[in-house]
Amino acid sequence: MRGFLVILFVVLTAYAAQAQTTENWIDEGLSIPEVAVLGEKPMKDIGTQKTSFSESVLKENIALSMADVLTFNSSIFVKTYGRATLSTVSFRGTSPSHTQVSWNGLRINSPMLGMTDFSMIPSYFIDDASLLHGTSSVNDTGGGLGGSIRLSTKPLQAEGFGVQYIQGIGSFRTFDEFLRLTYGSRKWQFSTRAAYSSSPNDFKYRNRDKRENIYDEDKNIIGRYYPIERNRSGAYKDLHILQEISFNAGRGDSFALKAWYINSNRELAMLTTDYGDEGDFDNRQREQTLRSVLEWNHLRQTWKIGAKAGYVYSWTAYDFKRDPGNGTMEVMTRSRSLTNTLFGQVEGEYYIGNKWLFTANLTAHQHFVESRDKNIIRQDGNKAIVGYDQSRVELSGALSAKWRPNERLGLSLVLREEMFGRDFSPIIPAFFTEYELSRRGNIVLKGSVSQNFRFPTLNDLYFLPGGNPDLRKERGWTYDAGVSFAVGRENSFLLSGSASWFDSYVKDWILWLATPKGFLSPRNVKEVHAYGVELKTDLAVAFNRHWKLDASATFSWTPSINEGEPMTEADKSVGKQLPYIPELSATLSARLQWRRWAFHYKWCYYSERYTMSSNDITLTGKLPDYYMSNISLEKGFSFSWADLTLKGCINNLFDEDYISVLSRPMPGINFEIFIGITPKWGKR
Amino acid sequence: MRLFSTYLRLAVLIFLSVFTGCMEWEYGVEEEFSASGSGLFIVNEGNFNYGNATLSYYNPATKEVENEIFYRANAMRLGDVAQSMTLYDGKGWVVVNNSHVIFAINPDTFQEVGRIEGFTSPRYIHFISDEKAYVSQIWDNRIAIVNPKRYEITGYIECPAMTMESGSTEQMVQWGDYLFVNCWSYQNRILKIDTRTDKVVAELEVGIQPTSIVLDRNGKLWTITDGGYEGSPYGYEAPALYRIDAETFSIEKAFRFSRGDAPSEVQLNGSRDRLYWINDDIWAMGVDDEHLPVRPFLEYAGTIYYGLTICPLSGDVYIADAIDYQQPGKIYRYTQTGEKIHEFYAGIIPGAFCWK
Repeated sequence: MRGFLVILFVVLTAYAAQAQTTENWIDEGLSIPEVAVLGEKPMKDIGTQKTSFSESVLKENIALSMADVLTFNSSIFVKTYGRATLSTVSFRGTSPSHTQVSWNGLRINSPMLGMTDFSMIPSYFIDDASLLHGTSSVNDTGGGLGGSIRLSTKPLQAEGFGVQYIQGIGSFRTFDEFLRLTYGSRKWQFSTRAAYSSSPNDFKYRNRDKRENIYDEDKNIIGRYYPIERNRSGAYKDLHILQEISFNAGRGDSFALKAWYINSNRELAMLTTDYGDEGDFDNRQREQTLRSVLEWNHLRQTWKIGAKAGYVYSWTAYDFKRDPGNGTMEVMTRSRSLTNTLFGQVEGEYYIGNKWLFTANLTAHQHFVESRDKNIIRQDGNKAIVGYDQSRVELSGALSAKWRPNERLGLSLVLREEMFGRDFSPIIPAFFTEYELSRRGNIVLKGSVSQNFRFPTLNDLYFLPGGNPDLRKERGWTYDAGVSFAVGRENSFLLSGSASWFDSYVKDWILWLATPKGFLSPRNVKEVHAYGVELKTDLAVAFNRHWKLDASATFSWTPSINEGEPMTEADKSVGKQLPYIPELSATLSARLQWRRWAFHYKWCYYSERYTMSSNDITLTGKLPDYYMSNISLEKGFSFSWADLTLKGCINNLFDEDYISVLSRPMPGINFEIFIGITPKWGKR
Repeated sequence: MRLFSTYLRLAVLIFLSVFTGCMEWEYGVEEEFSASGSGLFIVNEGNFNYGNATLSYYNPATKEVENEIFYRANAMRLGDVAQSMTLYDGKGWVVVNNSHVIFAINPDTFQEVGRIEGFTSPRYIHFISDEKAYVSQIWDNRIAIVNPKRYEITGYIECPAMTMESGSTEQMVQWGDYLFVNCWSYQNRILKIDTRTDKVVAELEVGIQPTSIVLDRNGKLWTITDGGYEGSPYGYEAPALYRIDAETFSIEKAFRFSRGDAPSEVQLNGSRDRLYWINDDIWAMGVDDEHLPVRPFLEYAGTIYYGLTICPLSGDVYIADAIDYQQPGKIYRYTQTGEKIHEFYAGIIPGAFCWK
C-alpha cells in the first residue's frame, strides 16, 4: 500500500506539473496587508494574549483534526493516545480540564470529565479558531487556568449555489471524504458540510516493548525477536455533519442556526504490551453527539446585543467484550453516559466614543447527566447498575470596561462571577493593559493579571466509586507580560511576532488517588506553579509575482512545578515537573507557493516528558523528545467548469519511531492524497 | 531571483541540520543477573493502561535492591498491571493482568523461560501439581486451568452466580484436595473447588468484598472484607475478618471492624500462626486469639499502605507505600517487634510480593 501511494504521489505531482495553467486562477492563502491595517488594536482585545489560526491552517486538508492543527501551529502540548484516538491538550503546563473550549459560544468540555477530545473536532468544520492564553481566557469564560480555545463557524457569504467535494485516500486504507453544499442570497446563507473518515488503522510497527519467543519441541526458548506488529483493534469510522443557516434581516439584525452532529465508532487500540489475541477482544467506544446553537445579533453604530440558545445531546458508549471460546462476544464492561445540556447566553457591547467600551455577558449551561458505569448482580440476586444521575446548572457572567485614553494606551478590567450548582466563585477579577511603544514597528507592550477558579467536574463529585462531593474549587492567580511587533510593506512582506512571559499559581489542584479500598477518588492535593515563556513569529513574503512564502513558528518553555506539601515523607514529587508535560516545545509551519503550486512543511518538537511525578527516568518510564515532520504538495487547476485541486501529503516524513504516551504505538511514515473539485455552477 | 536562491539554500541547510533529528532509543540490551539464595520479589503494578509494570528484587541479607529486573534481563517490558507472583518448580510465575499473560522466569537470572497467553484478565496463579495450575480472573466467571509444563490453558472452572461482567475470583489457598478462592469485586463469597474434578463444590457467603485469603497452621481460612463503599448498589457495611474452618467450610467467627474502615491484605508469618493486615495502621494478632488487637503493630504514618508481606524466615514485616501512584513506591522493612530496619524505593505501585 505504501509503495502504491508513493507511486501515485509521484504520478500525480508529475501530471500536475505538466498541466496547463490559466491566468485567471485566484491564488489563495496569502495576501499581505499593510502593517497599518494589522496595527489596528481592537478595543475588545486590549492586553490580551491571543493566537488566531488562519483559514489556510484550518483548511489544510480534510483529514486533520484540531489536535493536528494545535500540534503543528501552537505552543499547546497535545497528548495523543494514537492515531484517531483521544487527544487532550496541556495549555501552559496545566491539565486538559484547565483548557476551556467553546464552539460558537457553547462550552464543549465534557461536564463529566472536564476535558475535550480534540481528535473529535475536524478542523475543516472550523472557520475561526483562536487561543486565549492564561488570563486572557477570563474575557470569555472562567475555569481556563491554562487558557481557552474559541472555535466558531461563519457563513460563507457567497451568492448562488456552491459545491465542494474532496476525497482523500491514504495509507492503512484510510478514506476521508468531505462535501459542502452552499446556497447564498443577499439575505440567506445555507451551508451543509459532511465529513466521513474511516480506516482499519492497522499500521505496522516494530514492537520493542515485547519479544516473541521461538521454542523447541519441549517448549524451551531457543530464540527471541522484536515482532513487527500491526496496530491492533484501532479501526475508526467518524461521521460529522454541520448544518448552518443564517439570515440577515437588515437594519443590523441577523440570525443563525448551527447544528453539528457526530457519529463516531472507534476501537480502542491494544497496548504494545498486550498479549491478547485481537480476535478475542472487542474494545470499542461509540459516540453520538448533537450540538446546536441558535443565535441572534443586533448591531448598531455604537452598541450591539446578542443572544444564543443551544442544546447538546451526547451519548457515549464504552464496551469491552471477550469471546470466551464459544464464538460470541460476551460483555466484560458496559458503560453508558447520556448528557443533555441546555445552553443560553446574552451579551451586549456599548461604545462611548472611541475611548470606552463596556461589555456584559451571561452564560448558562444546564447539564443533565446519566452515567451507567457497570452492571452488577446484587447480593439478593437482582441486577443493578453502578452509576449516577445528576444535573447541574452552571452560570458564568462578566462585566468589563475597556478604556483607551489615547492611541497608545489601553486598559481593561473584567469582573466575572460563576456559579456551579449551589457553589459560587468569588468575584474573578482580571486586569489588562497595553501600551504602544513604537508606532513604526507596531511594538506593543502588554500586561495582565487575573484570578481564576475551576469547579470540580460531575465525575469528580459523583462518580461511583470514588466521587468526592467535598472537593473544593481549584483556584489560581496568573500574571502575563509580553511584547508584540509587526513590520512590513504591503504586497511585499510582513513580519510579526510576540514574546510573552507568564506566571501562574494553582492551588487545590484536583488529583485522582487510590483509596484504602482500592478505587480512585479525587482530592485537592497539589499546588502547582506553572510559568514560562511563549514566543511566536509569523512571516509572509512575496519574493516576486509568483513566489510567496508564508511561515510561522512558535516556541514555548513551560515548567509546571508541583509546589505542594509532600504526601508522605517518601514523596519525591515536590519541586518536580508534572508528568506528561514537556518543558520545551516548538513548531514550524511554512508554505511556499509558486504560481498554483504550494509546498507545505510542518514540523514540531517536544522535549522529553516525564512519566513519573518524581521525574525519575527509568527504562520503562522513558518518553524521549521527538521531532515530527510532515510535508504536502498541492496543485490547483482552473477549468471553465470547475476548480480542481490535487494534493499529496507525507506524514512522519523521516519515519520517526516515536510515542506520545507509554505503550501506545504511533504510525511511521504514511501518505495520503486528496482530490478536490469545486464546480463553478454558472460562475465561469 | 538570486536573493531567493540564497534563501532556499539557507533553508535547506537549516532543515537538514535541525529537523531531521532522531529519537534516542536503546533496545535489545540484556543484563545478566545471578541472584542465588533467598530474596524478595516485589511486583510493581504500574499505572493501568500505561504498560509500565516492573519487577524488583531485594536481597534482605545485603539490603540491596535491583529495580526493573524483568526489563533489564529480557530487554522488554513486563506489561500492564502486574498483579502477583508465585514461585513453583524453580520458576517465578508473574501474572500480568491487563497484558493477559503469565510469564515464567528463572528466579536467579530473571530471564523468561516461558509464558502462558490467552487469559481474559488473570489475577493469581495457584499450582495444584506439576502439570496443573489454576488462574483466577476478573471480568470472567471462569477460573482457567493451565498446564505449566506446556504453558497452555487446558480448561476452565465455571463459577456459579457470576456473569463475565460481574466475574471476580481472586486469591487461592489449598487444604487437602480442596481449593478455596475469595470472590472479591461486587461479590461476597468464598468458593470451594475440588481439585480432582475441577468443579465448584460449595460456596460460603461472607461479608461484602473479601479482598484476600490465607490458610493458617490450624486449618483455618482467614479472609478479610472491605465492606463495599458508600452509595454502592451492592451494599455498604462494616468490614470484618472471618475465621473459617476449612474442613466444615463454615464461619467460626467474624471479627468486626467499624463501618468505613478499609482492611485489606491479610497475611501470615512463616509459621502460619500470626496474622497481619492493613487497616490504615498495620495490625497483627495470633491465629488463636479471640479478639481483635487494641493497638496496632505499626501506627498509621500519614500514607495509604498498599502492600504487605512477612518474611517466612525472619518474620520481618515489609510494607509498601505507593505514595501518589505516579512515582516509585517505597518499601519499609520492620522487625517482628516493630523496629524499622531498612527502606528503599521499588517501582510504581508496589502491590504484591513473592519470597524466594
